[in-house]
Amino acid sequence: MNAKDYYTEHRRLVLGVFSVIFLVAAWELLLTYVFPVNPFFFTKPSLIAEAFKEQVQGAKLWHDLAISSRAFLWGFSFAVIVGIPLGLVMGWRRRVEYALDPFLTAMYASPLVALAPLLIIVFGVGVLGKAALVFLLSVFPFVFNVFAGVKSTDALLINVIRSFGGTDKDLYFKVILPSTMPYLIAGARLAIGRGLVGIIVGEFYAASEGIGFAISQAGDTYRLPDMFVGIIILSVIAVVLTEAMRRLELTVAPWRAGEEVR
Amino acid sequence: MRRPLAKMPPFIRANDITLVFKSKNRDPVTALNNLSFEIERGEFVSIVGPSGCGKSTFLNMLLGLVRPDSGHMQMNGTPIKGPGQERAMVFQEFGLLPWRTVTANVELGLELKGVAAAQRTQRAMELIKLVGLNGFERHYPHELSGGMKQRVGLARALATEPEVLLMDEPFAALDAQTRDLMQAELLQIWERTKKTVLFVTHSIEEAAYLSDRVIVMTARPGRTKQIIDINLPRPRDYEMRLTPEFNEIKSRIWEVLKEELIPGSRR
Ligand SMILES: Nc1ncnc2c1ncn2[C@@H]1O[C@H](COP(=O)(O)OP(=O)(O)OP(=O)(O)O)[C@@H](O)[C@H]1O
Ligand SMILES: [Mg+2]
Repeated sequence: MNAKDYYTEHRRLVLGVFSVIFLVAAWELLLTYVFPVNPFFFTKPSLIAEAFKEQVQGAKLWHDLAISSRAFLWGFSFAVIVGIPLGLVMGWRRRVEYALDPFLTAMYASPLVALAPLLIIVFGVGVLGKAALVFLLSVFPFVFNVFAGVKSTDALLINVIRSFGGTDKDLYFKVILPSTMPYLIAGARLAIGRGLVGIIVGEFYAASEGIGFAISQAGDTYRLPDMFVGIIILSVIAVVLTEAMRRLELTVAPWRAGEEVR
Repeated sequence: MRRPLAKMPPFIRANDITLVFKSKNRDPVTALNNLSFEIERGEFVSIVGPSGCGKSTFLNMLLGLVRPDSGHMQMNGTPIKGPGQERAMVFQEFGLLPWRTVTANVELGLELKGVAAAQRTQRAMELIKLVGLNGFERHYPHELSGGMKQRVGLARALATEPEVLLMDEPFAALDAQTRDLMQAELLQIWERTKKTVLFVTHSIEEAAYLSDRVIVMTARPGRTKQIIDINLPRPRDYEMRLTPEFNEIKSRIWEVLKEELIPGSRR
């Protein structure tokens, strides 16, 4: 295979990699030769790389990551456990929908991070307070996406199940749940983003450890390269999780694979 | 196919069926009004009628998904109260589960009835062969053509071994050639399995070609307008459609149906 064939086949990858390399190089060169600014106010890739190397070898970064992950996983798991059944029931039972909709819609639309101080007062500065914030931010995408998924279930398929004598349980497990799956995963993608915001805000606001705390502390003490290390690690995590969701969608919703345009 | 004994109840009997759709803020729609007819075991009966006259509604009633407001429906002498093993539907829009392979779709009815996995897979394989889909067992519906999807729908309906096959414009979404092919295959399968078939269609040609009798319904509210016997020899083939007898039957159906299609020509 020659270079040109390789390019046509992997155009997406090649162009993506080139643009990242170009951006990083431009940033570095610009700050080194064109505007050599004070490193207290801005930083450049080579310094970030150095800080990164140092942090990866140390223990603090890993400790912070573990602390933040724990709070994230607790909050996110509860969002899954509460959000999915709630969305299912709301989509399936009109009365539940009418009863909960105004309340949940108002909650979803409001900037819930504003509740961070309250949650920290109630649940404390430890894992619990942060997990509560993650939960609050990430539960609604699950509720509303699952709800929308149930609502969009093809009525014909429901008739098909009924015509073969299927029960309500069959309807849930053989039609409603599978057809809601793509919505659920889209919801999970949103929830991941919001949950990460929850962690960071919680740790900015009140914490003594965790990746969000590390970022804000580095900022407070003008250690910009260290701050960027935290930010970059966070965005890598976000990208990996989002990509994992996309892969998951292709496995649980293979019939949609054919629809994907590349 | 007439009953040997006058005492025996007809296999399927619809008597004075009336159904009114009521919804808030809208006038009630009388979909069916005193619809009656009888069908014998093993018959192939088509229903034709203007759009909106209640054909689908009626099939859904026979399937057990919709209850009439008044009137009786019986099968084998017992009232139809809900879905049952002895009736299965082939849907116009196929109604396949997109997340299931062909095999898993064909197995659906058996699965819902609690048939063991090994047994239902074996049964599904037989039916996939019967409808000519071998080699596509592990394909998903989106990987199939319209005709193939409807074969899956047919196989799924046949899998539970119903006595009656209800078909709601099953070939309407197919192109002309595929439709011809599916009609011929349906006739073969019908002749082999001896099912009773109730077939809704908009095509007079299709109704005449397939059926023992054709029920022509009135415009909404739907009633039986006339029942036309199709006394053409079986097995029928494509060439039969070119004979004068066939065309004579087609025009007879058309004469009856057209009064319902042209507004104002009734009464
Ligand atoms: N769920 C419903 N609610 C209210 N009205 C309905 C409902 N389903 C059907 N109808 C009405 O009942 C009438 C009969 O509908 P149906 O679908 O049975 O007609 P059809 O004969 O199958 O028509 P087509 O040939 O176009 O398929 C129509 O006028 C339709 O508007
Ligand atoms: Mg219809």
